Amino acid sequence: MAGFISLMILIPLIGAIITFLTRTREQARAVAFLTSGISLVISLVLFMRFDSSSSQVQFQELYPWISSLGINLKFGLDGIGMPLVLLSTIVIPLTIIFAWGETKQANQFYGLILLELVGVLGVFTSLDFFVFYIFWEIVLIPMYFLISIWGGPRKDYAAIKFFIYTHVASLVMLLAIFSLFFNAWQLTGTPSFDMFTLLKNYQVIDSPLLKDAIFLALLFGFIVKMPAVPFHTWLPDAHVEAPTAGSVILAALLLKMGGYGLFRVILPLLPYSGSPGYLVTLMAIIGVVSILYGTFLALAQRDLKKMVAYSSISHMGYVTLGAAALIPLSVSGAMYQQFSHGLITCVLFMSCGVIQHGAGTRIIGDLGGIAKHMPKLAFLMLAGFLASLGLPGMSGFIAEFLILINSYFTLPTFVILALFGIVFTAGYHLWAMQRAVFGTYNEKLGHIHDIATYEMVSMAILVLLVIYFGLNPNPVLNMMTTNAKQLVEFVSLKGVIT
Amino acid sequence: MFGDYAALIVLLPVLAFVLTLFLGKKLYSGGALLPIAAIAGSFIISFGTFLEIYPDKTIQQSLSWFAGMNIGILIDPLAVVMLMMVSFVSLLIHIYAVGYMAHDPAKPRYFAETSLFTAAMLGVILSDNILQFFIAWELVGLCSYLLIGFWYHKPSAAAAAKKAFLVTRVGDVLFLAGIVLLYFNMSEVVSSRAFSLEPGSFILQFKSMFAAIPHIPPGQLTLITLLFFGGAVGKSGQFPLHGWLPDAMEGPTTVSALIHAATMVTAGVYLVARTFPMFVAAPNSLLVVAYIGGFTALFAATMGLVMNDIKRVLAYSTVSQLGYMMLGLGAAGMAIGAGAVGISMFHLISHAFFKALMFLCAGSVIHAVGTNDIREMGGLFGKMKITAITMIIAALALAGIGIPLVNFGIPFSIGTSGFFSKDAIIEGAFAYGEQTGDLIPYVFAILAALLTSIYIFRLWFMTFTGTPRSERHAHESPNVMTRPLIILAVFALFFGYTQSGFYGYVDKNFELMGVEMAVHEGEAVPPSIIIVFMPVIVGVLGFLISYYIYYQRKLDVSKFITSENPVYKLLINRYYEPKLASDIIGVKLTHNVVAQSGEFVDRKIIDGLIIDNIIGRTAFKLGEVMRRLQTGVVQNYAAVIILGIGLLVILLMLGGV
Repeated sequence: MAGFISLMILIPLIGAIITFLTRTREQARAVAFLTSGISLVISLVLFMRFDSSSSQVQFQELYPWISSLGINLKFGLDGIGMPLVLLSTIVIPLTIIFAWGETKQANQFYGLILLELVGVLGVFTSLDFFVFYIFWEIVLIPMYFLISIWGGPRKDYAAIKFFIYTHVASLVMLLAIFSLFFNAWQLTGTPSFDMFTLLKNYQVIDSPLLKDAIFLALLFGFIVKMPAVPFHTWLPDAHVEAPTAGSVILAALLLKMGGYGLFRVILPLLPYSGSPGYLVTLMAIIGVVSILYGTFLALAQRDLKKMVAYSSISHMGYVTLGAAALIPLSVSGAMYQQFSHGLITCVLFMSCGVIQHGAGTRIIGDLGGIAKHMPKLAFLMLAGFLASLGLPGMSGFIAEFLILINSYFTLPTFVILALFGIVFTAGYHLWAMQRAVFGTYNEKLGHIHDIATYEMVSMAILVLLVIYFGLNPNPVLNMMTTNAKQLVEFVSLKGVIT
Repeated sequence: MFGDYAALIVLLPVLAFVLTLFLGKKLYSGGALLPIAAIAGSFIISFGTFLEIYPDKTIQQSLSWFAGMNIGILIDPLAVVMLMMVSFVSLLIHIYAVGYMAHDPAKPRYFAETSLFTAAMLGVILSDNILQFFIAWELVGLCSYLLIGFWYHKPSAAAAAKKAFLVTRVGDVLFLAGIVLLYFNMSEVVSSRAFSLEPGSFILQFKSMFAAIPHIPPGQLTLITLLFFGGAVGKSGQFPLHGWLPDAMEGPTTVSALIHAATMVTAGVYLVARTFPMFVAAPNSLLVVAYIGGFTALFAATMGLVMNDIKRVLAYSTVSQLGYMMLGLGAAGMAIGAGAVGISMFHLISHAFFKALMFLCAGSVIHAVGTNDIREMGGLFGKMKITAITMIIAALALAGIGIPLVNFGIPFSIGTSGFFSKDAIIEGAFAYGEQTGDLIPYVFAILAALLTSIYIFRLWFMTFTGTPRSERHAHESPNVMTRPLIILAVFALFFGYTQSGFYGYVDKNFELMGVEMAVHEGEAVPPSIIIVFMPVIVGVLGFLISYYIYYQRKLDVSKFITSENPVYKLLINRYYEPKLASDIIGVKLTHNVVAQSGEFVDRKIIDGLIIDNIIGRTAFKLGEVMRRLQTGVVQNYAAVIILGIGLLVILLMLGGV
């Protein structure tokens, strides 16, 4: 299997370059689809060969790069990264199918989408902190252009805001990475950006204050990306202006980088931080506030897409809550929530895109009864909304159920608060459906057309996947649980939780 | 042999759902035959299984699922009687719907959804663990949402569907909280080694839950059972979560029949019955069940008195009857323990027959006259004999009319099914009152019985007697609709005679699972003759009152039915529950106050003030600088990387390399 990971990243990179150079949109989308498809095949092969019973890094690859600073291209997968790699390689080809009809600067459009794939795959597979950071930043750039070129009326504002906000967070994170780097260098005498080495040497930092500062800097970097309240306000703006494909990638993949950071970096550091008890509580508060705040804000929205954006904040709050609870199955539930939300949110944003395209507006109050003329969309959208509100039989339920029942052991009050939000979550989803999709058709909309076939295919596949992973979570959940167990055992050794 | 295929009881209707949804358009009557065949198959397997396991066997099959959970099947007496009833009643309703829905263009969707509805309910019944129970329970909720909103282009239907889902969702969240708490306690019990799971069993299985009861602290057990009951209150339309059920009339009448008789509201009662050993171990919860049930029985009946929509009267009747079932579980549970399950389940099943019958009769009438308003009906008896006669049979059953001959030394009594089933609950409530001196639940039950009889005969007289009050030329419905009525009428009349056999069989249920329940010996003293006759007396009295007012028309009630009459106003406005639930709690409080102020904080303070104005101004200037750096596509990419590397070099230098 050696070389598969780098191949999986390299092929879409080459694909992106070729796509930029193509002259027609037919060529561009064919190249983009083909190369992302190859990545999907490789990730499926890796997924099949993955040993779910081992928490060790698998398929490891190591290529020396800047040896004097100990920077290597080190890639590998464990139960934390593998599912997200699978998610990324599923979402990108489906996004390309969904955006099959794109006409504006198509070669750049598809090329940027492929670059997003390169970026997120790099983030989820890099085991060298420096390389990880490069990929982390690479992801920003194509998204910036997707918003600023293909975006809505306020695209410049949204694109800049998105870029600056998340970039500042990245810089704060970078400072923490360097602190870890110099700390480890001082200790071992050899420079290395190896992720596990840096994380391991965190525990020997003398000053508890410095430890907490590093911890908080990293946490800040990750939760801005998720995003968690109160660092979330870039998200609704970015989504409202972004083209559908951009929103899909942003919500399904980019937000997951933040959650990934929690499992990859934050949890291993937690027991050795200066004040672990407070930091756990802080994370739990951030998680549950995001859940409830996102829910109520979603309820207040008039723009369907903004509502979906706030629902993402709410759902990502479950990830933080499950991670903070530090119970093996709450942590793997949180990982599963990432995977599941990645699939579900695609359907939601695609629905918004189809409505915008078909009816010319996304304002809930200006729609009404569109199911009459868009029955296929209404069906798929309802499926997505039901998945999003946590209907059993769909993947979101498994994740939220695991988080709720297991987090109760350590964070009972927070779980009760989160439960309180469930009714309102159902509320804003169904209320929006009632006003926008059902009821009497709003004749002012004139003649609107239903979803295009390629859009329908893409959404239908996603819905089927959501149902499949709602009925059979094991293929993905087992590998998550293996690593979650190992993480929690590691944390418990320090007696953060009993 | 049938037992090995028990999973098919659920899977056949699921398969029919998928096939009908996608292929129904090309098939006869929108693919109606697929669900009919599938549900007939479910019924045959259920019945065959019953014959196999009767009288003292159970079927248990279980597979590991995820994270220590399992999926499995438990068919015990409690489950098998429900399976037979649900598949049988659902089958008849599906056959009837071929006629009733004949002119609806969306038949494939209708039959697909009702098939899934039935499957979900069957899934609830044969679950062997609480998680799977919850999942199927939620799917029942989903299907009710889809079917109540079946005519989604009607704004009222879309609103009613949403209300049904959200109000039951309140209950579902309580139920889920109960599961969270149960899981926590089960895990504690297992990890403290006070109790260990049997090999091959799973933590949320009913048998594990029951075996762990003695080890769970009583306070926690009370809390868990109350939360479970919260779920049941939502699903079974008990006060204060009853409001969705009358609104659920927006769906086709056949859907109402399904919801009210077979596939939904009984799930709540079944939940309490299924977890009854836990309730018996938590007597405070039983008391709550008894009071909520008794109160709901009376409360809903008062509203049934004044409604003019034929389906709405029946809806309140269902709410009220479900109250009886809860009362039976609660009060009789405290008085006689495990036997309460048989009493309550017997009423559940007998009610299913006569309530399905009533809704199908109502459907037949609506089909004929084209209105739901009983004020516009009248004089239909001559035109719709089968409907009228089967409806009066259902009404007699609901009112519990019969003669308790058994108290005169005669070996059997004569009566409708409701007579046997409802009286047992009322006697249970009395037995509880006698033991404890608390006669309030009994008083609720008796008053509700009087009102029940009044409102149902009011409905019958106004619909079928007197002079026609509309121009419509009504006619009897086709055979495909009337035959199911006749079959259900037979059950409404004679099902009561299975009483002692039914009790004997279902009472063994928890014994078969190896659960020991505290046995209360409260039945020793037979109730006095006046108590035995009381339900029948009020039933007949109610009939006479309605006869006097609505048939002979000796009393003109129109002077009471005015907006000046505060009692009438309160009742016709349904105690202002719709206004409170949708308008005040839903729109005003949640949306206008909480959500909108959140929006204000988010946009104006967090984003507007802090991010945009304070941090953002600086950031935006920075952004302008960066934007100047980024003019072309590829160049941008390079520029930012160079920027990053430059930064890195500076930091490295500062770091003192």
